[in-house]
Amino acid sequence: MEAAALPVRRALRSSVGTAIRKFLNRYGLIIALLALPVYFGIHDLVNQHSLTHIFENLKDGVSNGAIWALVAIGYTLVYGIVELINFAHGEVFMIGSFVSFSVWSTIGLTLTTGALGVVFGLIVTLFVAMIASGSMNVLIERVAYKPLRNAPKLAPLITAVGFSFILQNVGLEWYGGSQKGVDDLIRAQTDFFTIGGVHITHADVLAVAVTTPLVLLLAWFITKSRLGKAMRATAQDPEAARLMGINVDTTISATFLIGGLMAGAAGLIYALYQTTIWFFQGFQAGLIAFTAAVMGGIGNIWGAVLGGVIIGCIQQIADDRMGGGTWTAAIVFAYLVLIMVFRPQGLLGEETREAG
Amino acid sequence: MRVTRTAVAGCTAAVLAAGLAACGGSSGGGGNGGSVSGDNLTIYSSLPLQGASRVQGAATVNGAKLALQQAGGKVGKFKITYKSLDDSTAQAGKWDPGQTSTNARKAASDKTTIGVIGEFNSGASAISIPILNRAGIAQVSPSNTAVGLTSSDAGAEPGEPNKYYPTGKRNFVRVVPRDTVQGAAGASVLKADGCKKPFVVNDKEVYGAGLATNVVDSLKAQGIPSLGNIGWDPKAPNYRSVASSIKAKGTDCVFISGIVNNNAVQLTKDLAAAMPNAKILGPDGICTATYTDPKQGGIPASLANRVQCTVATLDPAKYPPAGKQFFAAYKKAFPGTEPDPYAIYGYESMSLLLDAIKRAGDNGNNRQDVINALFATKDRQSVLGTYSIDKNGDTSITDYGLYKIVKGQPVFDRVIKASGS
Repeated sequence: MEAAALPVRRALRSSVGTAIRKFLNRYGLIIALLALPVYFGIHDLVNQHSLTHIFENLKDGVSNGAIWALVAIGYTLVYGIVELINFAHGEVFMIGSFVSFSVWSTIGLTLTTGALGVVFGLIVTLFVAMIASGSMNVLIERVAYKPLRNAPKLAPLITAVGFSFILQNVGLEWYGGSQKGVDDLIRAQTDFFTIGGVHITHADVLAVAVTTPLVLLLAWFITKSRLGKAMRATAQDPEAARLMGINVDTTISATFLIGGLMAGAAGLIYALYQTTIWFFQGFQAGLIAFTAAVMGGIGNIWGAVLGGVIIGCIQQIADDRMGGGTWTAAIVFAYLVLIMVFRPQGLLGEETREAG
Repeated sequence: MRVTRTAVAGCTAAVLAAGLAACGGSSGGGGNGGSVSGDNLTIYSSLPLQGASRVQGAATVNGAKLALQQAGGKVGKFKITYKSLDDSTAQAGKWDPGQTSTNARKAASDKTTIGVIGEFNSGASAISIPILNRAGIAQVSPSNTAVGLTSSDAGAEPGEPNKYYPTGKRNFVRVVPRDTVQGAAGASVLKADGCKKPFVVNDKEVYGAGLATNVVDSLKAQGIPSLGNIGWDPKAPNYRSVASSIKAKGTDCVFISGIVNNNAVQLTKDLAAAMPNAKILGPDGICTATYTDPKQGGIPASLANRVQCTVATLDPAKYPPAGKQFFAAYKKAFPGTEPDPYAIYGYESMSLLLDAIKRAGDNGNNRQDVINALFATKDRQSVLGTYSIDKNGDTSITDYGLYKIVKGQPVFDRVIKASGS
C-alpha cells in the first residue's frame, strides 16, 4: 500500500513543480521586469494619488536608455558578426563625446549662440563625431583584430582591452583626469513640454529624436540593403558567405563602421545630455551598454535597444527611490542575473552560431 | 628561501605583538626621536597637483616656497631644502591612495627629512599619517579638516584617531580649524539664509562623510534638522533622479559635503535644475576655481548667485598686518591671478615648521624635538592671527570665511563666527 502510494505522491509533487516551473519560465521574466515599476506605481497611487512620479522615472529611463542603446548596438553588431567583444567600443563612444565638444567649441557654439545657430552647428558636429568615431572603429579593426582573425579567440580579446586603455589615455591627455563640465548648449534640463505632469526636457527630446531615426535607418539597412544582407549572411556562416561571393572582410569593416557611427552619435548626445564629459565615461558606458546588449540578446539590434531602455529605467528608479544611487549598480546587475537565469539567450536573443 | 620566509613571519609576528612596524625600517631614519646627521634638512610636501584640486595644490606649494624663501632657506645653522611631491595621478584626477603612500615612504626613507607638509585631502592623510608616525616625522597639514584625524569627537569614525598613530605618540598638526567648526559655520550660514528644510549630500570620503555628520549635528543644534544625509556616487553620469528624490522631500537648501574632484560640478548642476529656487552651500573642498569657473569646467555662470562656499581663509583686510604683508608678497612673487584661499595655509604650514625647528634650537635636526616644539606652539603670532596648537594637534583659530562666486572666482563675502562646540 505504502509502496504504491509513493510514486503517485512523487508524480503529483513533480507535476506541481513542473507547473510552477513552466509558469515561471513563461511569465517569470515579465513579472521580474514589471516588479519595480508596478510596485512603485502602486506606492505612488497610494501616497501621492497620481502616477506622475513613476512616469517621470520611466521617461528619464527611456531617454538615458536611448544613449545606452546606441552604444549597445555597436557591441551587438560586432559580436553577431565576428563573435568578438569589442572592449574598445566604450572608448570609441568617449572619443565621440570629446570630438563633439572640441568641434562645437571650434566652430564657436556658446551659450549665447542663437537657436538656429545651435541646431545647425550641432548637426555639423553630429556628422563629424559620427565619422570620427566610425573611422576610428574601422581603424581599430584593421590594426588590432583583422590580423588576428585566425588566431586563438583570446588574442583579439586582449588587443581589444589594449586599445581600450590606449584610447583612455588619449582622453586623459586630451581633457585631464577630472570630469569636465561643458556648455549646456541645448538648456538640457529646461522643459520642452509637459504631458500629464511629466516634464519632457530638451535633453529627453534630443536623445529620443536622434536615436529613433538612427535605429530605424539601421534596421532598414540591415534587413533590406545588399550590404545588410551580406552582414547577416556573414553572421550566420562566414565560410558559406564567402562561397556565395560575399567579401567578408569588407562586410566586417562595414559592421565596425556602423557601430562606430552609432557610438559617435551617442557621444554627442551624452555630452549635451549630461553636460559633463570624462575620459572614464566610456568604461562605464561600455559596461552598461554591453550588459544591455547581452540582456536584450546579443546579435539583435532591437534587443540592444530594449536592453538599453530597461537598464535606463532600472537605473532611474533605483537612483530615485533606493538610497540615492548607492545601490543602483547592484540592482541593475541583479536584474541582469535574473534575466540571464530565465532567458540565457537574452530577451530577444536567437540561438548563436555555436549553439545552433 | 626558507630563511627569508621565517624572517618575514617573525617580523610580522613582532609587528602584531608590539603594534610597531620597526621591521625592515632601518631606512626610516632611525624611528622615533632620530636625529638627522648634519645640518642639511629637507621638508617635503605632498599635495595634489593634477586634476580639479590643482589650483589649490599649486597655491599651497607657492605659499610654502614663499615662506622658505623669506626665511632665506635656513633656520639658524640648518639649511632647509624643500621638495614638492604630487599625491595625485592623472588617471585618478585627484589624490591617489597608492601615490600618497609612495610619497610618505619616500619622505620616511630620506634621512634628511625633518617635516612633511600635507596632505591636502583628509582621506590622503589617513594613509600618510601612520607611515610618517612610524618614522617619527612631523607632519603639518595646510587643509585637513576631518575631525577623526586628531580626535574622537563627533564626526569621527570608531577607532579614530588612534588607528592613525601606531606608535601611540602624536606627530600630526593642522593649521585649519577642524570640521566641527566648519560644520557649525555651514549650519549657521544655512540658517541665516532662511533655510527651513536643508538636505546634506556627501562624497563618502573621510572628509566628505565626516563633515556631513558635523553639518547634520550642527543643523539639529540650530533648530533646522536636515531632511537627510546621503552619499553620492562620484562615477555616476548624472544625478537627476537623485536630485528629484531630494526635491520630493521638500528640500529648500542643499549642503554639498565633498570635493570638486568627485563630480561635484555635475551634482550641483543637477540639484540646481531640479530645485530652481534652492540655495546650495559647499565646504572648502569645492571652494576653488575649478568648481566656480565655467571656463575651467566649473558650474555655469547662471548658478553663481545661488552657490556659496566656506573656507577658513578670510579677506586680506581681516588679517593682522603680517597677513596683509603675505598677500602683497604673494601677489608680487606669483603675479597673475588672485591667490587661491589655500595659498596662505601653505605659507603658514611652512612657517610653523620652520618656527618649530627654530624653537628646537640646537636639536632642530632631531625629529622628536621638532614634533615636541610643534605641539608646544602657544600664542604664535602668524599671518593667520594668533593661535595655539592643542594636544591633539588642532589649532585654536575658529573663524570661517563665507565665499560667493564673482566672475567665476570664489570671492570673500563675510566672516562667520562659529563656536567650535
